[in-house]
Amino acid sequence: MDTPLAYYLANLAVYFLIYCMLTMGLNISFGMTGILDFAYITFMAVGAYVAGVVALGPATLDSQMTYILGLNWPFPLPLIAGGVAAGLFGALVGLLAMRRLRSDYLAIVLVATWSISWNLASNFTGLFNGTTGLLNVPQPLATNFNADPNSYVYVFIPIAAICVVLFFVVAYRIERSPFGRALRAIRSDPDVAAAFGKRTMRLRLQAMMMGCMYAGLAGALTILYIGAMNPSAWAIVETVIVFSALLVGGRGNVFGAILGALLVRIVIIEGTGLLPQVPNHPELLGALRNIAIGVLIIIVMYFRPQGVLPERRRRYELKPRRAQRVREAARDSA
Amino acid sequence: MTAPEAILSVQDVRHAFGGVQAVNGCSLQVPAGSITALIGPNGAGKTTLVNLVTGMMRLQGGSVEYAGQNISHWAPDRVARAGLLRTFQLSREFTKLTVLENLLVAATGQIDESLFGALFRRRSVQKQERALVEKARLLLSIFSLDDLRDEWAENLSGGQKRLLELARAVMAEPRMLILDEPMAGVNPALMTRLEEHIRDLRRQGITFLIVEHNLHVVERLCDLVIVMAEGKTLAAGAMSEHRANPEVVRAYLGSGAGPAE
Repeated sequence: MDTPLAYYLANLAVYFLIYCMLTMGLNISFGMTGILDFAYITFMAVGAYVAGVVALGPATLDSQMTYILGLNWPFPLPLIAGGVAAGLFGALVGLLAMRRLRSDYLAIVLVATWSISWNLASNFTGLFNGTTGLLNVPQPLATNFNADPNSYVYVFIPIAAICVVLFFVVAYRIERSPFGRALRAIRSDPDVAAAFGKRTMRLRLQAMMMGCMYAGLAGALTILYIGAMNPSAWAIVETVIVFSALLVGGRGNVFGAILGALLVRIVIIEGTGLLPQVPNHPELLGALRNIAIGVLIIIVMYFRPQGVLPERRRRYELKPRRAQRVREAARDSA
Repeated sequence: MTAPEAILSVQDVRHAFGGVQAVNGCSLQVPAGSITALIGPNGAGKTTLVNLVTGMMRLQGGSVEYAGQNISHWAPDRVARAGLLRTFQLSREFTKLTVLENLLVAATGQIDESLFGALFRRRSVQKQERALVEKARLLLSIFSLDDLRDEWAENLSGGQKRLLELARAVMAEPRMLILDEPMAGVNPALMTRLEEHIRDLRRQGITFLIVEHNLHVVERLCDLVIVMAEGKTLAAGAMSEHRANPEVVRAYLGSGAGPAE
Protein backbone atom coordinates (compact mmCIF):
# COMPACT_ATOMS: atom_id res chain seq x y z
CA MET A 1 0.00 0.00 0.00
CA ASP A 2 2.84 2.34 0.92
CA THR A 3 4.27 2.64 -2.57
CA PRO A 4 4.94 5.91 -4.39
CA LEU A 5 2.07 5.13 -6.76
CA ALA A 6 -0.38 4.52 -3.92
CA TYR A 7 0.75 7.75 -2.28
CA TYR A 8 0.35 9.59 -5.57
CA LEU A 9 -3.16 8.21 -6.15
CA ALA A 10 -4.23 8.95 -2.58
CA ASN A 11 -2.93 12.48 -2.92
CA LEU A 12 -4.84 12.82 -6.17
CA ALA A 13 -8.00 11.56 -4.47
CA VAL A 14 -7.73 14.30 -1.85
CA TYR A 15 -7.35 16.99 -4.51
CA PHE A 16 -10.30 15.52 -6.41
CA LEU A 17 -12.47 15.59 -3.29
CA ILE A 18 -11.51 19.19 -2.55
CA TYR A 19 -12.26 20.15 -6.14
CA CYS A 20 -15.66 18.44 -5.91
CA MET A 21 -16.44 20.75 -3.02
CA LEU A 22 -15.51 23.74 -5.17
CA THR A 23 -17.59 22.71 -8.18
CA MET A 24 -20.59 21.70 -6.05
CA GLY A 25 -20.58 25.15 -4.43
CA LEU A 26 -20.30 26.97 -7.74
CA ASN A 27 -23.13 24.80 -8.99
CA ILE A 28 -25.41 26.29 -6.33
CA SER A 29 -24.51 29.94 -6.94
CA PHE A 30 -23.85 29.88 -10.69
CA GLY A 31 -25.23 26.56 -11.95
CA MET A 32 -28.62 26.80 -10.26
CA THR A 33 -29.01 30.52 -9.60
CA GLY A 34 -27.05 32.10 -12.46
CA ILE A 35 -24.88 34.37 -10.30
CA LEU A 36 -21.69 35.04 -12.28
CA ASP A 37 -19.49 34.75 -9.22
CA PHE A 38 -16.13 35.69 -10.75
CA ALA A 39 -14.75 36.20 -7.25
CA TYR A 40 -15.39 32.55 -6.42
CA ILE A 41 -11.78 31.62 -5.72
CA THR A 42 -11.60 34.53 -3.25
CA PHE A 43 -14.05 32.71 -1.01
CA MET A 44 -11.91 29.60 -1.19
CA ALA A 45 -9.00 31.75 -0.02
CA VAL A 46 -11.04 33.30 2.79
CA GLY A 47 -11.92 29.81 4.03
CA ALA A 48 -8.30 28.72 3.82
CA TYR A 49 -6.85 31.74 5.57
CA VAL A 50 -9.45 31.79 8.32
CA ALA A 51 -9.03 28.06 8.95
CA GLY A 52 -5.27 28.63 8.98
CA VAL A 53 -5.19 31.50 11.44
CA VAL A 54 -7.58 29.81 13.87
CA ALA A 55 -5.66 26.51 13.69
CA LEU A 56 -2.25 28.16 14.13
CA GLY A 57 -1.07 29.39 17.49
CA PRO A 58 -0.29 33.06 18.06
CA ALA A 59 2.29 34.50 15.68
CA THR A 60 5.72 34.65 17.32
CA LEU A 61 9.13 35.78 16.24
CA ASP A 62 10.18 32.12 15.95
CA SER A 63 7.44 31.37 13.42
CA GLN A 64 8.68 34.26 11.24
CA MET A 65 5.11 34.96 10.23
CA THR A 66 2.68 37.74 10.98
CA TYR A 67 -1.02 37.09 10.93
CA ILE A 68 -4.20 37.86 12.84
CA LEU A 69 -5.89 35.70 15.48
CA GLY A 70 -3.71 32.60 16.10
CA LEU A 71 -6.26 30.81 18.26
CA ASN A 72 -4.87 27.28 18.30
CA TRP A 73 -8.37 25.84 17.82
CA PRO A 74 -8.59 22.06 17.57
CA PHE A 75 -10.08 20.23 14.60
CA PRO A 76 -12.86 20.44 13.33
CA LEU A 77 -13.29 24.06 14.47
CA PRO A 78 -10.88 25.50 11.85
CA LEU A 79 -12.80 23.73 9.11
CA ILE A 80 -16.12 25.05 10.36
CA ALA A 81 -14.68 28.55 10.86
CA GLY A 82 -13.35 28.57 7.28
CA GLY A 83 -16.72 27.59 5.81
CA VAL A 84 -18.70 30.02 7.97
CA ALA A 85 -16.31 32.93 7.33
CA ALA A 86 -16.44 32.41 3.57
CA GLY A 87 -20.25 32.11 3.67
CA LEU A 88 -20.61 35.31 5.66
CA PHE A 89 -18.13 37.16 3.44
CA GLY A 90 -20.08 35.92 0.41
CA ALA A 91 -23.34 37.16 1.93
CA LEU A 92 -21.77 40.55 2.62
CA VAL A 93 -20.40 40.87 -0.92
CA GLY A 94 -23.73 39.69 -2.32
CA LEU A 95 -25.65 42.16 -0.19
CA LEU A 96 -23.53 45.04 -1.46
CA ALA A 97 -23.28 43.92 -5.07
CA MET A 98 -26.57 42.23 -5.89
CA ARG A 99 -28.98 44.77 -4.51
CA ARG A 100 -28.93 47.09 -7.45
CA LEU A 101 -26.81 45.45 -10.13
CA ARG A 102 -27.75 43.40 -13.18
CA SER A 103 -25.86 40.14 -13.57
CA ASP A 104 -23.25 41.47 -16.02
CA TYR A 105 -22.37 44.43 -13.81
CA LEU A 106 -22.42 42.16 -10.82
CA ALA A 107 -19.78 39.99 -12.53
CA ILE A 108 -17.51 43.04 -12.94
CA VAL A 109 -17.99 44.02 -9.29
CA LEU A 110 -17.08 40.48 -8.27
CA VAL A 111 -13.87 40.58 -10.33
CA ALA A 112 -13.07 43.83 -8.53
CA THR A 113 -13.79 42.09 -5.22
CA TRP A 114 -11.22 39.44 -6.08
CA SER A 115 -8.68 42.10 -7.09
CA ILE A 116 -9.13 44.11 -3.87
CA SER A 117 -8.98 40.99 -1.70
CA TRP A 118 -5.92 39.57 -3.51
CA ASN A 119 -3.99 42.82 -3.27
CA LEU A 120 -4.99 43.28 0.35
CA ALA A 121 -3.87 39.76 1.30
CA SER A 122 -0.63 40.15 -0.68
CA ASN A 123 0.39 43.55 0.62
CA PHE A 124 -1.07 43.78 4.12
CA THR A 125 1.45 41.46 5.74
CA GLY A 126 -0.13 41.63 9.16
CA LEU A 127 -3.28 39.94 7.90
CA PHE A 128 -2.19 36.58 6.45
CA ASN A 129 1.58 37.00 6.13
CA GLY A 130 1.50 38.71 2.70
CA THR A 131 2.89 37.02 -0.41
CA THR A 132 4.60 34.31 1.63
CA GLY A 133 1.27 33.32 3.07
CA LEU A 134 0.58 30.97 5.94
CA LEU A 135 2.91 28.02 6.56
CA ASN A 136 3.09 25.07 8.93
CA VAL A 137 -0.64 24.98 9.66
CA PRO A 138 -1.17 21.94 11.90
CA GLN A 139 -2.66 18.94 10.11
CA PRO A 140 -5.81 17.67 11.82
CA LEU A 141 -5.56 14.37 13.72
CA ALA A 142 -1.95 13.81 12.53
CA THR A 143 -0.66 13.28 16.04
CA ASN A 144 -3.62 11.09 17.04
CA PHE A 145 -2.67 8.63 14.30
CA ASN A 146 1.09 9.13 14.54
CA ALA A 147 1.07 9.98 10.86
CA ASP A 148 4.26 11.12 9.15
CA PRO A 149 4.21 13.36 6.05
CA ASN A 150 4.03 10.29 3.77
CA SER A 151 1.23 8.48 5.56
CA TYR A 152 -0.84 11.53 6.52
CA VAL A 153 -2.73 11.42 3.24
CA TYR A 154 -4.47 8.23 4.42
CA VAL A 155 -5.65 10.04 7.54
CA PHE A 156 -6.92 12.96 5.53
CA ILE A 157 -8.82 11.04 2.83
CA PRO A 158 -11.64 10.02 5.21
CA ILE A 159 -11.87 13.58 6.54
CA ALA A 160 -12.25 15.01 3.03
CA ALA A 161 -14.56 12.18 1.95
CA ILE A 162 -16.91 12.68 4.92
CA CYS A 163 -17.10 16.41 4.16
CA VAL A 164 -17.78 15.84 0.47
CA VAL A 165 -20.44 13.18 1.07
CA LEU A 166 -22.17 15.34 3.67
CA PHE A 167 -22.19 18.38 1.41
CA PHE A 168 -23.15 16.33 -1.61
CA VAL A 169 -26.31 15.37 0.28
CA VAL A 170 -26.92 19.04 1.11
CA ALA A 171 -26.42 20.05 -2.55
CA TYR A 172 -28.68 17.24 -3.73
CA ARG A 173 -31.43 18.25 -1.30
CA ILE A 174 -31.20 21.86 -2.39
CA GLU A 175 -31.40 20.83 -6.04
CA ARG A 176 -34.56 18.79 -5.45
CA SER A 177 -36.32 21.22 -3.10
CA PRO A 178 -38.81 24.04 -3.74
CA PHE A 179 -35.90 26.32 -2.81
CA GLY A 180 -33.82 24.90 -5.68
CA ARG A 181 -36.79 25.25 -8.03
CA ALA A 182 -37.18 28.90 -7.07
CA LEU A 183 -33.45 29.45 -7.66
CA ARG A 184 -33.73 27.96 -11.14
CA ALA A 185 -36.75 30.19 -11.84
CA ILE A 186 -34.71 33.22 -10.78
CA ARG A 187 -31.85 32.09 -13.03
CA SER A 188 -34.28 31.81 -15.93
CA ASP A 189 -35.96 35.20 -15.44
CA PRO A 190 -35.60 37.13 -12.18
CA ASP A 191 -38.24 39.72 -13.15
CA VAL A 192 -40.89 37.08 -13.77
CA ALA A 193 -39.91 35.27 -10.58
CA ALA A 194 -40.44 38.54 -8.67
CA ALA A 195 -43.76 39.02 -10.48
CA PHE A 196 -44.79 35.69 -8.95
CA GLY A 197 -43.92 36.82 -5.45
CA LYS A 198 -40.44 35.36 -5.12
CA ARG A 199 -38.13 37.33 -2.84
CA THR A 200 -35.40 37.21 -5.45
CA MET A 201 -32.78 39.16 -3.51
CA ARG A 202 -33.16 37.03 -0.42
CA LEU A 203 -33.08 33.77 -2.36
CA ARG A 204 -30.05 34.82 -4.43
CA LEU A 205 -28.25 35.87 -1.26
CA GLN A 206 -28.91 32.49 0.32
CA ALA A 207 -27.58 30.75 -2.79
CA MET A 208 -24.51 32.97 -2.91
CA MET A 209 -23.83 32.39 0.77
CA MET A 210 -24.18 28.64 0.37
CA GLY A 211 -21.91 28.53 -2.68
CA CYS A 212 -19.28 30.61 -0.89
CA MET A 213 -19.48 28.35 2.13
CA TYR A 214 -18.61 25.36 -0.07
CA ALA A 215 -15.67 27.33 -1.48
CA GLY A 216 -14.58 28.21 2.05
CA LEU A 217 -14.73 24.57 3.11
CA ALA A 218 -12.66 23.61 0.07
CA GLY A 219 -10.10 26.24 1.07
CA ALA A 220 -10.10 25.08 4.68
CA LEU A 221 -9.56 21.48 3.58
CA THR A 222 -6.72 22.61 1.32
CA ILE A 223 -4.80 24.47 4.01
CA LEU A 224 -5.40 21.77 6.60
CA TYR A 225 -4.06 19.16 4.18
CA ILE A 226 -1.03 20.89 2.71
CA GLY A 227 -0.44 23.20 5.66
CA ALA A 228 0.11 26.31 3.56
CA MET A 229 -1.71 28.95 1.52
CA ASN A 230 -0.45 32.00 -0.31
CA PRO A 231 -1.85 34.42 -2.94
CA SER A 232 -0.37 32.51 -5.90
CA ALA A 233 -2.86 29.71 -5.15
CA TRP A 234 -5.87 31.92 -5.82
CA ALA A 235 -5.04 33.87 -8.94
CA ILE A 236 -8.10 34.89 -10.99
CA VAL A 237 -7.43 32.10 -13.49
CA GLU A 238 -8.32 29.58 -10.78
CA THR A 239 -11.92 30.90 -10.80
CA VAL A 240 -11.98 30.40 -14.56
CA ILE A 241 -10.85 26.80 -14.13
CA VAL A 242 -13.62 26.04 -11.61
CA PHE A 243 -16.15 27.59 -14.00
CA SER A 244 -14.69 25.47 -16.80
CA ALA A 245 -15.07 22.33 -14.73
CA LEU A 246 -18.73 23.09 -14.03
CA LEU A 247 -19.54 24.02 -17.63
CA VAL A 248 -17.86 20.87 -18.94
CA GLY A 249 -19.46 18.58 -16.36
CA GLY A 250 -22.93 20.13 -16.59
CA ARG A 251 -24.31 23.10 -14.69
CA GLY A 252 -27.42 22.75 -12.57
CA ASN A 253 -26.67 19.09 -11.85
CA VAL A 254 -24.65 18.07 -8.81
CA PHE A 255 -23.44 14.95 -10.63
CA GLY A 256 -22.27 17.17 -13.49
CA ALA A 257 -20.32 19.24 -10.97
CA ILE A 258 -18.54 16.12 -9.74
CA LEU A 259 -17.84 14.89 -13.26
CA GLY A 260 -16.43 18.31 -14.13
CA ALA A 261 -14.08 18.11 -11.15
CA LEU A 262 -12.93 14.73 -12.40
CA LEU A 263 -12.46 15.79 -16.02
CA VAL A 264 -10.76 19.12 -15.42
CA ARG A 265 -8.92 18.68 -12.11
CA ILE A 266 -7.81 15.12 -12.63
CA VAL A 267 -7.78 14.36 -16.36
CA ILE A 268 -6.63 17.73 -17.71
CA ILE A 269 -4.60 19.29 -14.92
CA GLU A 270 -3.05 16.07 -13.69
CA GLY A 271 -2.77 14.64 -17.21
CA THR A 272 -0.80 17.59 -18.53
CA GLY A 273 1.36 17.43 -15.40
CA LEU A 274 2.47 13.94 -16.41
CA LEU A 275 3.88 15.14 -19.72
CA PRO A 276 7.69 15.29 -19.86
CA GLN A 277 9.29 18.64 -19.17
CA VAL A 278 10.72 20.41 -22.18
CA PRO A 279 14.25 21.62 -21.45
CA ASN A 280 14.61 25.40 -21.15
CA HIS A 281 10.83 25.88 -21.19
CA PRO A 282 9.74 25.44 -17.57
CA GLU A 283 6.42 27.24 -18.07
CA LEU A 284 5.35 25.24 -21.08
CA LEU A 285 3.40 22.63 -19.09
CA GLY A 286 1.36 25.29 -17.29
CA ALA A 287 0.53 26.89 -20.61
CA LEU A 288 -0.38 23.50 -22.07
CA ARG A 289 -2.71 22.88 -19.15
CA ASN A 290 -4.60 26.10 -19.81
CA ILE A 291 -4.68 25.43 -23.55
CA ALA A 292 -6.11 21.95 -22.90
CA ILE A 293 -8.83 23.39 -20.65
CA GLY A 294 -9.66 26.00 -23.29
CA VAL A 295 -9.88 23.38 -26.03
CA LEU A 296 -12.08 21.17 -23.84
CA ILE A 297 -14.48 24.06 -23.20
CA ILE A 298 -14.67 24.87 -26.92
CA ILE A 299 -15.39 21.23 -27.78
CA VAL A 300 -18.05 20.85 -25.08
CA MET A 301 -19.71 24.19 -25.87
CA TYR A 302 -19.79 23.30 -29.57
CA PHE A 303 -21.07 19.74 -29.34
CA ARG A 304 -22.82 19.66 -25.96
CA PRO A 305 -23.38 23.18 -24.62
CA GLN A 306 -25.42 21.92 -21.71
CA GLY A 307 -22.38 19.94 -20.42
CA VAL A 308 -21.66 16.22 -20.36
CA LEU A 309 -24.28 15.59 -17.64
CA PRO A 310 -26.91 18.26 -18.22
CA GLU A 311 -29.57 19.46 -15.82
CA ARG A 312 -32.15 16.73 -15.35
CA ARG A 313 -35.85 17.11 -15.85
CA ARG A 314 -37.58 16.21 -12.64
CA ARG A 315 -40.75 14.20 -12.92
CA TYR A 316 -43.36 14.49 -10.21
CA GLU A 317 -45.51 11.38 -10.03
CA LEU A 318 -48.85 11.28 -8.26
CA LYS A 319 -50.04 8.23 -6.39
CA PRO A 320 -52.80 6.43 -8.38
CA ARG A 321 -55.53 7.60 -5.98
CA ARG A 322 -54.51 11.23 -6.33
CA ALA A 323 -54.08 10.91 -10.11
CA GLN A 324 -57.60 9.49 -10.33
CA ARG A 325 -58.90 12.41 -8.29
CA VAL A 326 -57.23 14.84 -10.71
CA ARG A 327 -58.77 13.09 -13.73
CA GLU A 328 -62.23 13.23 -12.17
CA ALA A 329 -61.89 16.91 -11.23
CA ALA A 330 -60.68 17.75 -14.75
CA ARG A 331 -63.68 15.90 -16.23
CA ASP A 332 -66.06 17.78 -13.93
CA SER A 333 -64.63 21.16 -14.83
CA ALA A 334 -64.84 20.33 -18.56
CA MET B 1 -77.96 49.31 -8.33
CA THR B 2 -74.62 50.71 -7.05
CA ALA B 3 -71.47 50.56 -9.13
CA PRO B 4 -69.09 47.78 -8.03
CA GLU B 5 -66.20 48.89 -5.87
CA ALA B 6 -62.88 49.42 -7.63
CA ILE B 7 -60.24 46.80 -6.81
CA LEU B 8 -57.56 48.85 -8.60
CA SER B 9 -57.43 52.59 -8.60
CA VAL B 10 -54.72 54.52 -10.45
CA GLN B 11 -54.44 58.24 -9.76
CA ASP B 12 -52.45 60.73 -11.86
CA VAL B 13 -49.61 58.27 -12.48
CA ARG B 14 -46.52 59.56 -14.33
CA HIS B 15 -43.39 58.07 -15.78
CA ALA B 16 -40.88 59.42 -18.29
CA PHE B 17 -38.01 57.73 -20.12
CA GLY B 18 -35.55 60.59 -20.56
CA GLY B 19 -37.49 63.21 -22.47
CA VAL B 20 -40.33 60.85 -23.46
CA GLN B 21 -43.33 61.12 -21.13
CA ALA B 22 -44.62 57.54 -21.47
CA VAL B 23 -47.33 57.84 -18.83
CA ASN B 24 -48.52 61.36 -18.26
CA GLY B 25 -51.04 61.73 -15.47
CA CYS B 26 -53.03 58.58 -16.13
CA SER B 27 -55.99 57.78 -13.89
CA LEU B 28 -58.31 54.79 -14.11
CA GLN B 29 -60.38 52.43 -12.00
CA VAL B 30 -60.94 48.71 -12.44
CA PRO B 31 -64.19 47.43 -10.85
CA ALA B 32 -63.84 44.32 -8.70
CA GLY B 33 -65.00 41.18 -10.49
CA SER B 34 -64.93 42.79 -13.93
CA ILE B 35 -63.09 42.02 -17.13
CA THR B 36 -61.74 45.42 -18.06
CA ALA B 37 -59.86 46.17 -21.26
CA LEU B 38 -57.10 48.71 -21.68
CA ILE B 39 -56.75 49.67 -25.32
CA GLY B 40 -54.93 52.37 -27.21
CA PRO B 41 -52.44 52.99 -29.99
CA ASN B 42 -48.87 51.70 -29.86
CA GLY B 43 -46.82 53.93 -27.60
CA ALA B 44 -49.87 55.02 -25.60
CA GLY B 45 -48.13 53.87 -22.40
CA LYS B 46 -50.25 50.77 -21.67
CA THR B 47 -47.41 48.36 -20.91
CA THR B 48 -45.53 51.05 -18.98
CA LEU B 49 -48.67 51.57 -16.90
CA VAL B 50 -48.86 47.82 -16.20
CA ASN B 51 -45.20 47.87 -15.16
CA LEU B 52 -45.88 50.80 -12.85
CA VAL B 53 -48.95 49.21 -11.28
CA THR B 54 -47.13 45.92 -10.62
CA GLY B 55 -44.04 47.59 -9.15
CA MET B 56 -41.72 46.62 -12.00
CA MET B 57 -41.03 50.30 -12.67
CA ARG B 58 -40.88 53.11 -10.15
CA LEU B 59 -43.62 55.71 -10.09
CA GLN B 60 -42.42 59.25 -10.74
CA GLY B 61 -45.74 60.69 -9.62
CA GLY B 62 -49.26 59.73 -8.65
CA SER B 63 -50.47 56.75 -6.68
CA VAL B 64 -51.79 53.21 -7.09
CA GLU B 65 -54.31 51.68 -4.75
CA TYR B 66 -55.14 47.98 -4.85
CA ALA B 67 -57.75 46.28 -2.67
CA GLY B 68 -57.79 49.23 -0.30
CA GLN B 69 -54.00 49.39 0.11
CA ASN B 70 -51.67 52.03 -1.26
CA ILE B 71 -49.16 49.94 -3.25
CA SER B 72 -47.49 52.89 -4.99
CA HIS B 73 -43.93 52.03 -4.04
CA TRP B 74 -44.19 48.33 -3.37
CA ALA B 75 -41.66 45.91 -4.87
CA PRO B 76 -43.08 43.56 -7.53
CA ASP B 77 -42.82 40.48 -5.32
CA ARG B 78 -44.84 42.20 -2.60
CA VAL B 79 -47.48 43.27 -5.12
CA ALA B 80 -47.70 39.68 -6.32
CA ARG B 81 -48.02 38.29 -2.82
CA ALA B 82 -50.92 40.72 -2.27
CA GLY B 83 -52.73 38.90 -5.10
CA LEU B 84 -52.11 41.20 -8.07
CA LEU B 85 -50.40 39.25 -10.83
CA ARG B 86 -49.55 39.90 -14.42
CA THR B 87 -48.51 38.18 -17.62
CA PHE B 88 -46.15 39.62 -20.21
CA GLN B 89 -46.50 40.92 -23.75
CA LEU B 90 -44.08 38.24 -24.95
CA SER B 91 -44.44 34.91 -23.18
CA ARG B 92 -41.79 34.64 -20.50
CA GLU B 93 -41.88 31.08 -19.27
CA PHE B 94 -39.15 29.74 -17.00
CA THR B 95 -37.30 28.04 -19.81
CA LYS B 96 -35.29 25.43 -17.92
CA LEU B 97 -38.15 24.36 -15.72
CA THR B 98 -40.61 21.77 -16.90
CA VAL B 99 -44.18 22.79 -17.70
CA LEU B 100 -45.32 21.33 -14.38
CA GLU B 101 -42.52 23.06 -12.47
CA ASN B 102 -43.53 26.38 -14.04
CA LEU B 103 -46.82 25.99 -12.22
CA LEU B 104 -45.32 24.65 -9.00
CA VAL B 105 -42.93 27.55 -8.67
CA ALA B 106 -45.77 30.03 -9.21
CA ALA B 107 -47.75 28.87 -6.19
CA THR B 108 -47.66 31.62 -3.62
CA GLY B 109 -47.45 31.13 0.12
CA GLN B 110 -45.22 28.07 -0.16
CA ILE B 111 -43.77 27.28 3.20
CA ASP B 112 -40.12 26.32 3.27
CA GLU B 113 -39.15 27.87 -0.02
CA SER B 114 -35.86 28.72 1.63
CA LEU B 115 -32.48 27.23 2.41
CA PHE B 116 -33.68 26.29 5.87
CA GLY B 117 -36.71 24.51 4.47
CA ALA B 118 -34.63 22.66 1.89
CA LEU B 119 -32.32 21.28 4.56
CA PHE B 120 -34.39 20.80 7.67
CA ARG B 121 -38.11 20.63 6.96
CA ARG B 122 -38.36 17.96 4.32
CA ARG B 123 -41.47 16.30 5.68
CA SER B 124 -43.63 19.42 5.56
CA VAL B 125 -42.16 20.23 2.15
CA GLN B 126 -43.07 16.81 0.79
CA LYS B 127 -46.62 17.08 2.09
CA GLN B 128 -47.02 20.50 0.50
CA GLU B 129 -45.47 19.27 -2.74
CA ARG B 130 -48.04 16.49 -3.09
CA ALA B 131 -50.90 18.97 -2.75
CA LEU B 132 -49.29 21.41 -5.18
CA VAL B 133 -48.59 18.75 -7.78
CA GLU B 134 -52.21 17.63 -7.61
CA LYS B 135 -53.46 21.17 -8.08
CA ALA B 136 -50.98 21.87 -10.89
CA ARG B 137 -51.91 18.66 -12.72
CA LEU B 138 -55.58 19.65 -12.53
CA LEU B 139 -54.86 23.06 -13.99
CA LEU B 140 -52.70 21.55 -16.72
CA SER B 141 -55.55 19.19 -17.60
CA ILE B 142 -57.99 22.10 -17.79
CA PHE B 143 -55.59 24.02 -20.02
CA SER B 144 -54.87 20.91 -22.14
CA LEU B 145 -51.19 20.88 -21.23
CA ASP B 146 -51.06 17.82 -18.98
CA ASP B 147 -49.46 15.61 -21.64
CA LEU B 148 -46.62 18.11 -21.87
CA ARG B 149 -46.06 18.41 -18.12
CA ASP B 150 -42.55 16.92 -18.14
CA GLU B 151 -41.31 18.91 -21.14
CA TRP B 152 -38.96 21.85 -20.74
CA ALA B 153 -41.20 24.92 -21.01
CA GLU B 154 -38.91 26.37 -23.70
CA ASN B 155 -39.95 23.55 -26.04
CA LEU B 156 -43.63 24.58 -26.16
CA SER B 157 -45.16 26.30 -29.18
CA GLY B 158 -46.15 29.97 -29.00
CA GLY B 159 -49.82 29.15 -28.34
CA GLN B 160 -48.97 26.58 -25.70
CA LYS B 161 -46.77 29.14 -23.98
CA ARG B 162 -49.76 31.52 -23.86
CA LEU B 163 -51.83 28.80 -22.19
CA LEU B 164 -48.99 28.05 -19.81
CA GLU B 165 -48.73 31.71 -18.83
CA LEU B 166 -52.41 31.82 -17.94
CA ALA B 167 -52.33 28.48 -16.11
CA ARG B 168 -49.24 29.58 -14.19
CA ALA B 169 -50.92 32.82 -13.17
CA VAL B 170 -54.04 30.94 -12.03
CA MET B 171 -51.85 28.59 -9.98
CA ALA B 172 -50.83 31.61 -7.91
CA GLU B 173 -54.50 32.17 -6.95
CA PRO B 174 -54.57 35.89 -7.77
CA ARG B 175 -57.39 38.24 -6.85
CA MET B 176 -56.61 40.30 -9.92
CA LEU B 177 -54.77 39.39 -13.09
CA ILE B 178 -53.36 41.79 -15.65
CA LEU B 179 -52.91 40.17 -19.06
CA ASP B 180 -50.63 42.06 -21.44
CA GLU B 181 -51.77 41.26 -25.00
CA PRO B 182 -52.79 37.66 -24.28
CA MET B 183 -54.12 37.12 -27.81
CA ALA B 184 -51.01 38.33 -29.68
CA GLY B 185 -49.95 35.66 -32.19
CA VAL B 186 -52.71 33.28 -31.11
CA ASN B 187 -54.78 31.37 -33.69
CA PRO B 188 -58.61 31.79 -33.69
CA ALA B 189 -59.36 28.38 -32.11
CA LEU B 190 -56.95 28.96 -29.25
CA MET B 191 -58.26 32.50 -28.89
CA THR B 192 -61.75 31.12 -28.25
CA ARG B 193 -60.37 28.74 -25.64
CA LEU B 194 -58.46 31.53 -23.91
CA GLU B 195 -61.62 33.62 -23.84
CA GLU B 196 -63.53 30.73 -22.25
CA HIS B 197 -60.83 30.28 -19.63
CA ILE B 198 -60.91 33.98 -18.79
CA ARG B 199 -64.71 33.93 -18.40
CA ASP B 200 -64.48 30.82 -16.19
CA LEU B 201 -61.86 32.43 -14.01
CA ARG B 202 -63.91 35.59 -13.69
CA ARG B 203 -66.79 33.44 -12.46
CA GLN B 204 -64.40 32.10 -9.81
CA GLY B 205 -63.87 35.67 -8.62
CA ILE B 206 -60.73 36.85 -10.43
CA THR B 207 -60.77 40.43 -11.74
CA PHE B 208 -59.09 40.97 -15.11
CA LEU B 209 -57.41 43.95 -16.70
CA ILE B 210 -56.55 43.03 -20.28
CA VAL B 211 -54.29 45.05 -22.55
CA GLU B 212 -55.40 44.01 -26.02
CA HIS B 213 -55.39 45.19 -29.62
CA ASN B 214 -57.92 42.68 -30.92
CA LEU B 215 -61.12 44.70 -30.65
CA HIS B 216 -63.36 41.74 -31.50
CA VAL B 217 -62.06 39.94 -28.43
CA VAL B 218 -62.40 43.11 -26.36
CA GLU B 219 -65.99 43.56 -27.44
CA ARG B 220 -66.92 39.93 -26.74
CA LEU B 221 -65.12 39.64 -23.45
CA CYS B 222 -64.93 42.93 -21.60
CA ASP B 223 -67.46 44.80 -19.46
CA LEU B 224 -65.54 48.03 -19.42
CA VAL B 225 -63.09 49.39 -21.98
CA ILE B 226 -60.56 52.07 -21.04
CA VAL B 227 -58.86 53.91 -23.89
CA MET B 228 -55.36 55.29 -23.36
CA ALA B 229 -53.54 57.70 -25.63
CA GLU B 230 -50.41 59.78 -25.15
CA GLY B 231 -49.89 58.47 -21.64
CA LYS B 232 -53.29 59.29 -20.21
CA THR B 233 -56.83 57.96 -20.13
CA LEU B 234 -58.88 59.24 -23.00
CA ALA B 235 -62.22 57.61 -22.19
CA ALA B 236 -63.81 54.76 -20.27
CA GLY B 237 -67.04 52.99 -21.14
CA ALA B 238 -68.55 50.32 -23.37
CA MET B 239 -66.99 49.61 -26.76
CA SER B 240 -70.13 50.87 -28.52
CA GLU B 241 -69.73 54.24 -26.77
CA HIS B 242 -66.13 54.48 -27.92
CA ARG B 243 -67.09 53.86 -31.53
CA ALA B 244 -69.29 56.92 -31.33
CA ASN B 245 -66.63 59.02 -29.59
CA PRO B 246 -64.79 61.12 -32.20
CA GLU B 247 -61.74 61.55 -29.94
CA VAL B 248 -61.33 57.78 -29.58
CA VAL B 249 -61.95 57.24 -33.28
CA ARG B 250 -59.29 59.81 -34.17
CA ALA B 251 -56.74 58.57 -31.62
CA TYR B 252 -57.09 54.82 -32.06
CA LEU B 253 -60.03 53.24 -33.84
CA GLY B 254 -59.78 55.09 -37.15
CA SER B 255 -62.69 56.24 -39.23
CA GLY B 256 -63.36 52.78 -40.72
CA ALA B 257 -64.04 51.17 -37.35
CA GLY B 258 -67.40 49.47 -37.32
CA PRO B 259 -68.95 47.17 -34.74
CA ALA B 260 -67.29 43.81 -34.28
CA GLU B 261 -68.91 40.90 -36.03
